[in-house]
Amino acid sequence: MKRWDLIVIGTGLAGLTAARTAAEAGARVLVVGRGIGSLALFGNSIDVLGEVPPGVNLDAGVSDWIGTHPGHPYARTGWEGIAEALVAFQELFPSPYRFVAAGLTNSLVPTGTGTLRPTYLLPITMRAGAGLVAEETLVVGFRGFKDFQGDTVSLHLKCRGVNISLPRYGLEGLTALALARLMDEEPFRKSLGEAIRGQKAGEKRIGLPAILGLCDPAAVLEDLEGVIGARVFEIPMLPPSIPGLRIFNRFRERLIAKGATFLMGNPVTGVTVKGGRCEGIRVCNPPLETEYRAEQYILATGRFLGGGLWAEMDRIVEPVFHLPVSQPAGRGDWFRERFFQPEAHPIHAAGIATDRSLRPSGEGGAPLLTNVRVAGSILANHQSIEEHSREGIAIATGYRAAQEALKA
Amino acid sequence: MTPATEPRNPARTLPDLCVRCATCMAVCPVARVTPRFPGPKQAGPGAQRFRSAAEASVDDWIELCTACRLCDTACPAGVPISELNLLAKAKFLDERGRGLRDWLLVRSDLFGELAARYSRFVNPLLQNRTVRWLLDRTLAIDRRRMLPPYEYPTFRKWFADRQAPESAGRPRIAYFHGCFTNTNEVDVGKAAVALLEAAGFTVTVPPQRCCGIPRLGVGDLRGAREMGQRNLSLLLPTVREGTDLVFSSTSCGMMLRHEYGPLLNLPGAQELAVRLFDICEFLVRRQEENDAAVRFKPLPRKVAYFTPCHLRALNIGLPALELLRLVPGVEVAMLDTECCGLGGLYGFRKEKYPISEEIGKGLKKEVGRLDPDTIVTDCEGCRMQLRALTGREVLHPVQLLRDALAEG
Repeated sequence: MKRWDLIVIGTGLAGLTAARTAAEAGARVLVVGRGIGSLALFGNSIDVLGEVPPGVNLDAGVSDWIGTHPGHPYARTGWEGIAEALVAFQELFPSPYRFVAAGLTNSLVPTGTGTLRPTYLLPITMRAGAGLVAEETLVVGFRGFKDFQGDTVSLHLKCRGVNISLPRYGLEGLTALALARLMDEEPFRKSLGEAIRGQKAGEKRIGLPAILGLCDPAAVLEDLEGVIGARVFEIPMLPPSIPGLRIFNRFRERLIAKGATFLMGNPVTGVTVKGGRCEGIRVCNPPLETEYRAEQYILATGRFLGGGLWAEMDRIVEPVFHLPVSQPAGRGDWFRERFFQPEAHPIHAAGIATDRSLRPSGEGGAPLLTNVRVAGSILANHQSIEEHSREGIAIATGYRAAQEALKA
Repeated sequence: MTPATEPRNPARTLPDLCVRCATCMAVCPVARVTPRFPGPKQAGPGAQRFRSAAEASVDDWIELCTACRLCDTACPAGVPISELNLLAKAKFLDERGRGLRDWLLVRSDLFGELAARYSRFVNPLLQNRTVRWLLDRTLAIDRRRMLPPYEYPTFRKWFADRQAPESAGRPRIAYFHGCFTNTNEVDVGKAAVALLEAAGFTVTVPPQRCCGIPRLGVGDLRGAREMGQRNLSLLLPTVREGTDLVFSSTSCGMMLRHEYGPLLNLPGAQELAVRLFDICEFLVRRQEENDAAVRFKPLPRKVAYFTPCHLRALNIGLPALELLRLVPGVEVAMLDTECCGLGGLYGFRKEKYPISEEIGKGLKKEVGRLDPDTIVTDCEGCRMQLRALTGREVLHPVQLLRDALAEG
């Protein structure tokens, strides 16, 4: 049976970053995902630390913040580690579909509910949404498209909004993927652009749901802006996420070109651990269970939605390696009184504690498994929802975990 | 590979495993091209909550699922979506009845041998415009669909009549060729035999029948079970004497390996599954165990590789790609488009042909962009569709690998 250099469990941004880092360094990598991973759900822009206000330099802001949060995953990488990993991420997306920042600082971009959220790296299709001025903005939705409520967005952004339909194309009831696919067709986007131009009343920026094509979004953007005569930006919406799929597809393409193997659609049902080392994992595709072995392993299975953490009635468990989960003392301490309280729910800081090289650690901080590293949102001691740090944690720790694994 | 120790839990048809995350909507080829199919989330677990064995089916769109199984590979929650669809489709078609067209199409194995014997007369008829118009009008087999020509001698006849090479001391390997190789693409079988012999094996071809997947396609569970039982009684003696079995058709393989057991519950299915391998998967493994297993000579060729959906569902990575990369001079690019759109017999049906063609459009464009010398893919359905879409040479990977075998 083949022995891999590295097995990455998880196909979200952390797992893919780890796999790519290792594969580009020449390692033979196997990526195992229970499903397609979280990028298909909510990968849009790259948050690093939204707590740092726009205008404040991110390097200083993050470094200061690490000083007051010594248990945070960022404390394992430092700002230098984050910055290096972000550069590597940006290199994966060369021009024209690039990820860019507004200088070394956060921008505020509109969400699918019409609020503004801080984020760092934006795909060029979202750039014009940063720092928008309500009077200059028109939000365009599609009649009958359930995943994007243009009216809600424009109401909250206090800008003008319209819903359009293109009878010739029968847009009613189409899914996000169907719309993205149509956008990849030049005649469609030109007709759409003309329809939007007809609705425009001097607005300089046009917000659309994030469906500006899967194959060539930069060309879609350029054509739309040319026909409409205004800048165009994508607004994230309900899953599935088209911008997230672009990221996933790009990683997969690069990984396969580098000789990595993908297994997708079946869970890891067991592991073999001997003397503090993982010797193999088992993947179950009924009626068969297959063992895969590697020198090194990276666990990047995400949180509750991806199956990386599992909530039983009274405690939270990690189902692959059965690692100890850092968590509140009891179920009564999981949540705050009100769901929409500004303070984070303690359950969201639950996760796997690690040593400096991201190996899972037990009490006292000693590593429990010497050839397993943990990356991404499954790590303990972050509040990525409130901090707006989800993608930054995934990229920085995925990158670092792969480097540590290769060093070992 | 070992038998899975525990059956999939909880109940396989439990729709409440679905958390409505919509990841599956990101990969469904049908929902992407037609609003008539609501997509896997709604068609599978969504509608399942409203289905009752005692009541008549109401969702006629269930027939539009192609059973590609991509939704299963994307789902993070382990919902057996395609199986829910299949069971609903079976119930719907049991109620509505299946008609002469389906009766004929799923029994192509019965008249395949005869058609091959008289292929000199049959093939011109299949190409004849009037005959195709008649098939279109009387049986609703779309006249735009190219009907694959038959070949004689069949693979089985060629194999029985040939001068077998010296076999003393060589391990045995059994080959499941499938119907299409036997009567329509004999060279795939010849190439498989040549490769296995070059890898040091004596090839046997046990008696076998259609795997039964066409019957699953029309929701005929009883018919599929019958085919499965027949094949198991024909194939089990081979595996019981300790001989491994390889298949070259990923759809036959998926049926034999993963549907006989978990879905159809046939006794002996697991015994067969543990000794059953995709031919490229088997050769890759052989290659790793023994450096000098098969040697390839240079073959300068620009190849585009397409991943069949059922290969994704087998979840064994891309073994054909790994082998092709061993051939000096072969330059492989990925046709990274999901689903060719044929869906087996789906694409022959008049009412579904437009969907099939629309799904294939992206693939056609991608082939045009890469402009390869040869297209390579493991599934006969994908090969048929790719030939129809592009008019180019489309091979099974084993054919290209056979052409690259070093002498001696």
